Amino acid sequence: MRFATRTFLWSFVPFVILLLGSFWAIQKLVEHTVRDGLRTSLRQTHVSVARARANSELQNSRFLKILGENPSLKAGLQLLLAAPKSGEARRTVEYQLREICEKLGFDFLLVSNPDGAALAGVMRVGEQLVGMDIARLRPPQQGFTTVGERSYQVVSTPIDEGDENIGILSVGEPFDFSAFTTPAVLAHRGKVLKSSIPGIPLEEVEAALQPCRDQAECEVRLRGETYISLPMDSISFGEGYVLRSLQSIDAASGPVQGILRNVFGIAGFGALLATVIVSILSAQSIVQPIRAVVAHLKESEGTGLLPEFQARPGRIQEIRELSESFNRAAAAIREARQNLHRAYVEFVGSLASALDARDRYTAGHSRRVSELSCAIARAMHLAPQELEDIRIGALLHDIGKIGIGDSVLQKPGKLTNEEFALVQQHPTIGRRILEGVQGFQDYLSIVELHHENWNGTGYPWGLRAEATPLGARIVHVADAYDAMTSDRPYRRGMSLEQAIHVLRQYAGTQFDPTIVPLFVNLMAFVQESPSAAVSGRVHVLPRAVNDANDA
Amino acid sequence: MQKTIKLAVAAGVLSLTAVGALPAADIQGSIVIKRRLTKRRVTAPVSAYERGVTVELGSAPERDFLAFERSRVAVYLEGQYQNQPVTAILEQKNRQFVTDTLVVPAGSTVSFPNRDPIFHNVFSLSKPKTFDLGNYPKDQTRTVNFPKPGIVFVNCHLHPNMTAAIVVAPNQWCTRADGAGRFTLRDVPPGAYTVVAWHRAAGFFRQAVKVAKDHASAVEFIIPLDETGDPKDMARR
Repeated sequence: MRFATRTFLWSFVPFVILLLGSFWAIQKLVEHTVRDGLRTSLRQTHVSVARARANSELQNSRFLKILGENPSLKAGLQLLLAAPKSGEARRTVEYQLREICEKLGFDFLLVSNPDGAALAGVMRVGEQLVGMDIARLRPPQQGFTTVGERSYQVVSTPIDEGDENIGILSVGEPFDFSAFTTPAVLAHRGKVLKSSIPGIPLEEVEAALQPCRDQAECEVRLRGETYISLPMDSISFGEGYVLRSLQSIDAASGPVQGILRNVFGIAGFGALLATVIVSILSAQSIVQPIRAVVAHLKESEGTGLLPEFQARPGRIQEIRELSESFNRAAAAIREARQNLHRAYVEFVGSLASALDARDRYTAGHSRRVSELSCAIARAMHLAPQELEDIRIGALLHDIGKIGIGDSVLQKPGKLTNEEFALVQQHPTIGRRILEGVQGFQDYLSIVELHHENWNGTGYPWGLRAEATPLGARIVHVADAYDAMTSDRPYRRGMSLEQAIHVLRQYAGTQFDPTIVPLFVNLMAFVQESPSAAVSGRVHVLPRAVNDANDA
Repeated sequence: MQKTIKLAVAAGVLSLTAVGALPAADIQGSIVIKRRLTKRRVTAPVSAYERGVTVELGSAPERDFLAFERSRVAVYLEGQYQNQPVTAILEQKNRQFVTDTLVVPAGSTVSFPNRDPIFHNVFSLSKPKTFDLGNYPKDQTRTVNFPKPGIVFVNCHLHPNMTAAIVVAPNQWCTRADGAGRFTLRDVPPGAYTVVAWHRAAGFFRQAVKVAKDHASAVEFIIPLDETGDPKDMARR
């Protein structure tokens, strides 16, 4: 995981959790408040319904008492008791009941014998009063009955003749939920008789109410909506009957929730946006200095150098400490590297010296060739790195001679063709030796190609003109000059003039025609200097070349 | 308010000494009623209940309420004269007595057939005749003999709004006025009589009349009732 991501998450996630948590808590609070409000409103509805009901019940009971004393009804009932099977007797009483219903506006009237068995009754169906089918309806003397669309709440009074009870008169008051401002459900021992919840069949309501049977207050899920349900216990509806009113929590809390959602949506979005920005900025502010350090390191990875950080007055202490310790480490590494380099250069120098020391005639040859080559390179204004490559390459240019026996190398007199062919192998051998050494790749071309001629007659490859790298061409000239001016067992070394003459003579054939005049100029300058003795010229030469350059 | 009852005698009065052998004459009369006497109430006919039609109960719309009142006046001669009992029928139909005013001579027998598909229980608590026929269903009947003259009010136990009056006259000369208020007592032997008119709401009205041989007598009853007054008092004057 990236550091920036981590920082971002650490600042972002707690914020989001806090936001969601507060949203949740407020929503719960609102829901709780709404629920309390609903409960109160349900209770109030109950109280008002109970009051209205108590009034109407009192009135009904008075009516009933009077009706129970109706002599013709008593006569009818007695007739019916005497002839219970007679359809005419039943009809006689039905007509009486019908007349009472029409006069008093009742919808349901029933007479029963003293044991409670219904004898005759009428009820309103549509606009008409019709006789009850007693056998089918089995109307109760108490409680509720539902016929078709209508439900009746039935109350009864005894009909007495003297001291003898001759029957029961029952009046059914049409029962509906019009007094309820909320949906209501009437149930008898768990079975829903009537419901004013629109569009939901009774069976579904019944199933939903099943868990509420013994509870006072409960929550009901109906068609994905949550209702709070309270039983109406202030009125008794008879044994086993329960009237529950319901109120949809969702519908009540919906608008508030909607507003809350909007507010939270906007505020939350704003806060989230702010959090994102703040988180990104804070992540950036933490990561930026680290990223700068990393970029710096990456850069050094490319160059292979460990540059020190600019001594920027960093405001962040950790970063400052990091830079400082990095700088210290970089300095230590640089120092170690310089030491290593020095050791390496020294090693190369000793290698060259060891080579040269095999023969007193060639002693110092490698060092001289190196110095001369550097002088030429400087005169050509080459880059420091190229100069360094030429310097070391020149030091090592004859390393391949390790592989050639002293008998050939130190042979006085002319070499045979075979011997010469052997000597011609030294650049290839040198390349082979140095190939395996890490960090010497840059010098291989000089070691391998310092005997290639301008016209392609050199060895080992016979490269022409600029196919030979510049470094090798420079070393070729310097090598030739030093070889000519050095003593050999079989001859004395040439004079400077003679050697220059030879160089000039072979410029364009053996030597690079641009390097030779440059070298000649350098040598001319050395010759003019009075202190340029043969013994000291090696040391003098670089300084002289420098002077010439400065001039 | 008019408190007096005018009894206008429009015909001559005949001697009544030789009843039977002597040729008889009619008493023709008319009833004049100037305002409504009875508050009638509608009783839903059984057929309406059978069809399940709702009947609006309340005051009955009367096309000619004075004709109704006039036709409910019973007229008879006061006193023990020649008598010829009859057999009459008083039906219970559509939970009403048909007719509601029956005039019979003393000793007549009245049958009370039930024409409704329900029970009726006909009874009377009136002095001249007390009876209770009990509950009986459709197409059954009970008969009652009325030996004593007087007004017998008949009711139904089961249907308190059912009521009828049976006027048991002391002799054979008794009748009901028609819608126009006219009545005729036929073949009354010559003599002096008191004609009695009775209306259920208005009570008794009496007029003396003399029946002459071969000469129809005329009598007119004006029943200008004051509803606040006692009709019996007014009739006595």
